[in-house]
Amino acid sequence: MYQHDRIWQRRTIVLILLVVLVLTVVLCTTIGPAGIAFTDVLTMLLRRIPWIGSMIPRGDWPANYETIVFQMRLARVILAALVGAGLAASGVVLQGLLINPMADPYVLGISQGAALGATVAMLLLGGTIALGIYSVPLAAFLCGLATAIIVYNLARVGNRVQRSTLLLAGIAAGLFLSSITSYLMITSGQNAQQILFWMIGGFAGRGWEHVKILLPYILTGYLLMHLYARKMNIILLGEEPAQHLGIDVEKMKKVLLAAATLTTTSAVSVSGVIAFVGLIIPHAVRLLVGPDHRILLPAAALTGATFLIMADALARVAAAPEEIPVGIITALCGGPFFIYLLRKKNHPGF
Amino acid sequence: MTMILKINDIECSYGTVKVLNGLTFSVSSGSFTGIIGPNGSGKSTLLKSLSRVLKPVKGTVLLDEKDLYRMDTQEVAKKMAVVPQETAVNFSFTVKDIVIMGRSPHLGRFQSEGEKDFAAARQAMVMTDTLHLADRQITAVSGGERQRVIIAKALTQEPEIILLDEPTSHLDINHQVEILSLLQQLNRENNLTIISVFHDLNQAAQYCDSIILMEKGAVFTVGKPAEVLTAGNIKEVYGANVLVRKHPATGRPSIILLARDSQIDSKNGRVHVVCGGGAGASLLGLLTGQGYAVSAGVLNAGDVDWETARFLDIRMVEEIPFLPVSERSHQENIELLADADICILANIPFGWGNLKNLEAVSFALEQSKSVLIIEEQDIKERDFTDGKAELLYNGLKKKGAVVLRDEAAVLNTLGDLLAVKPPAGQQ
Repeated sequence: MYQHDRIWQRRTIVLILLVVLVLTVVLCTTIGPAGIAFTDVLTMLLRRIPWIGSMIPRGDWPANYETIVFQMRLARVILAALVGAGLAASGVVLQGLLINPMADPYVLGISQGAALGATVAMLLLGGTIALGIYSVPLAAFLCGLATAIIVYNLARVGNRVQRSTLLLAGIAAGLFLSSITSYLMITSGQNAQQILFWMIGGFAGRGWEHVKILLPYILTGYLLMHLYARKMNIILLGEEPAQHLGIDVEKMKKVLLAAATLTTTSAVSVSGVIAFVGLIIPHAVRLLVGPDHRILLPAAALTGATFLIMADALARVAAAPEEIPVGIITALCGGPFFIYLLRKKNHPGF
Repeated sequence: MTMILKINDIECSYGTVKVLNGLTFSVSSGSFTGIIGPNGSGKSTLLKSLSRVLKPVKGTVLLDEKDLYRMDTQEVAKKMAVVPQETAVNFSFTVKDIVIMGRSPHLGRFQSEGEKDFAAARQAMVMTDTLHLADRQITAVSGGERQRVIIAKALTQEPEIILLDEPTSHLDINHQVEILSLLQQLNRENNLTIISVFHDLNQAAQYCDSIILMEKGAVFTVGKPAEVLTAGNIKEVYGANVLVRKHPATGRPSIILLARDSQIDSKNGRVHVVCGGGAGASLLGLLTGQGYAVSAGVLNAGDVDWETARFLDIRMVEEIPFLPVSERSHQENIELLADADICILANIPFGWGNLKNLEAVSFALEQSKSVLIIEEQDIKERDFTDGKAELLYNGLKKKGAVVLRDEAAVLNTLGDLLAVKPPAGQQ
């Protein structure tokens, strides 16, 4: 009967993380320079819930407060959640697929590739947002995918992918690509500020239209990954043993690499390169829920969302009224963590 | 008998290096087949090409009359399970998590495990005696247990055939027996076809119905263990000198590696060992291995020392089983002693039947031969002649026999003695 316990255990964990996520959304929506009371924000949010919302009386706040909360803050919080979930899920998949605890979209250079793609698309289109809003994600995706394929093949010797080579190839590719982006930034004149934003990553000035662009990609990518969750457990035994259990490993690798790249690059195309989320979150969550991808994947996505909302809130308030790009905060957390993982040699990593 | 696997003239290569070169053989359903051969003969490669990992550049592999490489991966996994050589699992999965993974080939595209699948996993764990480990972390079980878990996973696939690559190579001897007996049981009771690469020829001899001996990427010979495992074949393929005997209990061939190799300097000197009943067997082996010319006596035909001496092709004085040493045998024993440079008396018990052996040693001392006595047990405990043997034995000590604790001490002392003393033939 243990399978039923397992399923309930999984559901409980997901439910708890979901509650934490919702609380974080509410809490971080109240944070901001406008000085809107916590209770007012809470009431505003509750009033938007179908059915029970109409039962809650409206408070006496100025009309523009609702605009601030819904058009600015909530959109941004939701966007951070989507990006965080996407990056964390991609990290889980890459680590599992490459059987490498150091893998993450940033370390492997996929994020930087996407940022370059986004930059080039933006410069070529001259900032015409009407077209750009869909072509920038597409360019980001293509460049990110190309980077993933190049890095993966660089690290492959015969049928084996060497862990250290993969990391080095990823880091080298990431540096190479971001230096091209830097060059474009310096020579591009008035667009420099926008490009810099892609290089560090953040949510400043992002709104519902970005949520609309991102949502379908993140959902598609995540669903693809989730469908393979059980098989990803088997991949951890090694590629040959997985093949002996009837898994078409090559096909699965292609699908999952594409899904992780899609998720990462679409996130990068709206938020820029946010470093290390895909590394820290999967590890932290794995410690809590174990290596089973059927729970690891949703738990990491929810935790990634919560983490990035909090990091973004910190970015908004830490140096107020100035705003720090959120990528700086995640890199500050991620750098030491990465070194810690490197030093922890004898630990299996999973 | 139906053939479950037919291999027809396959060639495999890694890049430009050809590893398998025109292999042809069949494996019958329900058999236990061993693949043996020296390092680099292509055993593991063969297993890879049979398990749909390495596609042959030429030739076909038929599983139940279907081309293995045209079958769907999942379809193959329903019929065939593979147990790799080393199964290090570095993730904190529990044992039951690992075992249930064996159901993967039977699950639909994105289906989850149901009651039937858990029942199959449970049964496999009962068969492999791993049920009590179910909730343990796979990283926290011993090597033998882990191998059993991996076999349980393979059984959970409900295959018709299991391929194993040296399944016991990293295990202690008790676990080796455990795993092989389990495989034998599955083969006999569940009619599971087993194909396994073996490193240890004796294991292959003991467990297989059929053996494939490989050499340089080709089949050297195929057949029953007794047909394949001959001293001649092993000498030719492995370049090793072995003795092949019938295992007394199983009747299967038993291979003994001869330690006599050219790299050890052969020792000069003739050594006569007075033993019997098994007390001298290992000493005879050691001395022969060191290159001494060894003789022994008087041995009752059929006892362990006699078997060993015959087996090692040692000159000896024989006596009819259970009869006391006759005068004629005694004389022969003395003649052999006279030929030897050194006499060794093993730690044997004495009864009225072999008292003459003590007299022979005493005679050797009188001929001023060096006599070494191995005394692991006090003479009082192994004297069954009311003190007569003890008297003679103590007499030997008085006359200058050297008393030593064990065989290692004997080997050391022999080396020293023979270094100063020229061998008998040159006196």
